[in-house]
Amino acid sequence: MLIAICVAGYLSLVVASGGAFASGNAVQTFFQFLPVPVLIGLAQMIALSVGQLNLAVGALGGFLACAMGVLMADLGVPAPAAIVIGLALGAAVGALTGALVVFTRINGFIVTLATMTILIGAQYRLVGTRTVSDYSPGLKEFGQASVLNIPLVFLLALGVAALVAMFFRAAAPGRRMLASGSNPLAATLSGVSNDRSVILAHTLSGLVVAITAVVTVAVSPGVNRSIGGDWLLPSFAAPIIGGAVLTGGTAVVLGTVLAAFIVRLVDSARAEFSLQPSWVNFVVGAVVLGTVVLTRARETRRSGGSS
Amino acid sequence: MIVADQLVKVFPGVRALDGASLRLEAGSVHALLGENGAGKSTLIKILTGVQRPDQGRLLIGGEAVTLRSPTEAAQAGIGAVHQERNLIPAFSVAENIALQRLPIRRGLVDRAHMRAEARRILGLLDVDLDPDVRVDRLSVAQRQLVEIAKALYGESRVLLLDEPTASVSPAEAELLFTVVRKLADSGAGVLFVSHKLEEVFAICDTVTVLRDGRTVLDAEPIADHARDDLIDLMVGRSREALSFPPRPPATQPAVLELDRISTAAGHREVSLSVRPGEIVGLYGLVGSGRSELAKALLGLEPIESGSVRVRGKNVVIKDVRQALAKHRIGYVTENRKEEGLFLDQPVSRNIAVTVWGRIAGALGHVSPAREGELVSMWVDRLGIKLASSRQLAGQLSGGNQQKVSLAKWLAAETEILIIDEPTVGIDVRTKGAFHELIWGLAADGMAILLITSDLAEMITLADRVLVMRDFRIRGELDNDHHYDRTSQAVIRLIHSKEI
Repeated sequence: MLIAICVAGYLSLVVASGGAFASGNAVQTFFQFLPVPVLIGLAQMIALSVGQLNLAVGALGGFLACAMGVLMADLGVPAPAAIVIGLALGAAVGALTGALVVFTRINGFIVTLATMTILIGAQYRLVGTRTVSDYSPGLKEFGQASVLNIPLVFLLALGVAALVAMFFRAAAPGRRMLASGSNPLAATLSGVSNDRSVILAHTLSGLVVAITAVVTVAVSPGVNRSIGGDWLLPSFAAPIIGGAVLTGGTAVVLGTVLAAFIVRLVDSARAEFSLQPSWVNFVVGAVVLGTVVLTRARETRRSGGSS
Repeated sequence: MIVADQLVKVFPGVRALDGASLRLEAGSVHALLGENGAGKSTLIKILTGVQRPDQGRLLIGGEAVTLRSPTEAAQAGIGAVHQERNLIPAFSVAENIALQRLPIRRGLVDRAHMRAEARRILGLLDVDLDPDVRVDRLSVAQRQLVEIAKALYGESRVLLLDEPTASVSPAEAELLFTVVRKLADSGAGVLFVSHKLEEVFAICDTVTVLRDGRTVLDAEPIADHARDDLIDLMVGRSREALSFPPRPPATQPAVLELDRISTAAGHREVSLSVRPGEIVGLYGLVGSGRSELAKALLGLEPIESGSVRVRGKNVVIKDVRQALAKHRIGYVTENRKEEGLFLDQPVSRNIAVTVWGRIAGALGHVSPAREGELVSMWVDRLGIKLASSRQLAGQLSGGNQQKVSLAKWLAAETEILIIDEPTVGIDVRTKGAFHELIWGLAADGMAILLITSDLAEMITLADRVLVMRDFRIRGELDNDHHYDRTSQAVIRLIHSKEI
């Protein structure tokens, strides 16, 4: 069903734009900026899989992107080292968030709300009002490179998605995370540590956010304090439209990727027809709300029918 | 093969276990019996590493062990099927069985091995189930079998079954018993906890009885005991019911009547009535549908058929607000922490919440003075001990919290009060004070429906006792406040054979 919406949406966009949207250039741009919604959606989906949520997706991404930019441009750190530092930092912030949730027993919503604010402050502190653009040409080249007209960064995002899918389908820690998310009590009685699942979920979520930051640094002409500011809504939109259950226990990688595609479509349509950016928020918000209401209605009907 | 020796476990306000012992032998099915609150569940939780005893020893194969977690219990060869369902609905049968220790090959879950292992265990049980099917597609009984298979995963030699037949049909229970028998014959030790004495006599070899956290019958052959002996042991003869000055018999017409009520929650043909100045006890085992009945009455669960009459008139109660405002019915919930109180709010607000509408001024303003007056009146009347009415409800002791939760309804001038498990987790002294309070309310003309699992409490307070089982009323007894006689009559009704 989602696939159908994706294809239909894309085709109608092609028609509506008078074919301009089918040109190689447009296609390439479309896919070049698709990785971000895909990856942030996955990052959120990982948090949702154990029944947590991560409000700091955009803040962490923006902070890491700026941090990597500053490391390379101002401090002359070579790109590979900066990337490794960025990835490690992302995972570390995630692990810390998870540990805070577990050890203080404070709701993950509050914890990530706080880390979000802190990270936004840190991002501003790093770059102020300037745009850092004078960094590794190699990385920027990677951001523009493509194979058969398909941008490398998009393939990277698909690779990450495949790994995440594999992790939840076949790796023991992934299965345990789903068990914790689905029924924490049952998980405990089966010797699964819910605490460990929560920490791992936040760590992986942070790591995927860091990968998103790397991609952003690569595809953007420069990084500034606005990066990550508009990630929060799409990060929830992709997994929710994709079929994730907010209370945990599901990992819908394919759904998340396809839904991210739809989010990107809305964004492209906006660019194509020079609509107000707020219009995108409106549409995406409405679609998310609609999906939740629909799912809820379906669940109620199902449980009502079986009893 | 597994011995629990003089276990003691204390929770705030309650000694859940107070010298409980158990000896489970290989190759036998051992019954663990006891009334509500006797300590069976706590004992099971200790044996499965979910909780640790405060005193006493646990021996496996003659060696003292400490079980710190369910995983350690599993490693020690103890598998359990708990009362709550513990499967992951979206996972396959095989994965649920193996969840405790997922087999790993080259970093990934080894599904082939998992499936083979699941098939082997299911085969052991003679159960024909596809290991690849998702658990949420199975029937309740099939899930129960998966739980047993899961408990057996990883060479468990001891199997604990906590009320395994609570939600399965007789035919399905039969299949379960065959499986249990087979396991015992192959040398496993099975501990069988059940309220259904017929089942216990049908499949158990030996029996242990707990009462008030203490072992009163220690691993004796079940054949040596008659059914009535065991009931006497479970109930005990030691406890004396407290006695209060007699109340005049309730003669006025009933204010609350249920006439053949059936509900979506599963009640069938439930009828009862309560008169002003009368305490009607509703007794039953946990899960027999008592609290659900109270909730249905207050409009929280749909009533499908039958009628509710309040003061002689047929009514449909939509919600608690209406029950209170229109019919003067209050419900003191059993979960005072989750449902009964605002723990992080001052006591005054907790008591006054039901009456704000009444005492509010013309502009909806609640005068603190008016509120304070009302609150201090109830604090005095119920003898609630607090430093000030500004104190947060969460800081009070269990007994005082419960009094606040009651005061709230009394302040609302209720005439019909449903009180659900008023003294769970409250120490003995406060319990006595509470009983006096409830007794006094009835003497003042309140109609009270008392739901309790505490038999002594029931016999102390109730004028009549209704026994509920499986969402139906199974019998009614006039209570003469004579503990021995009434308790045995009640227990016989509970354990009476299927009608």
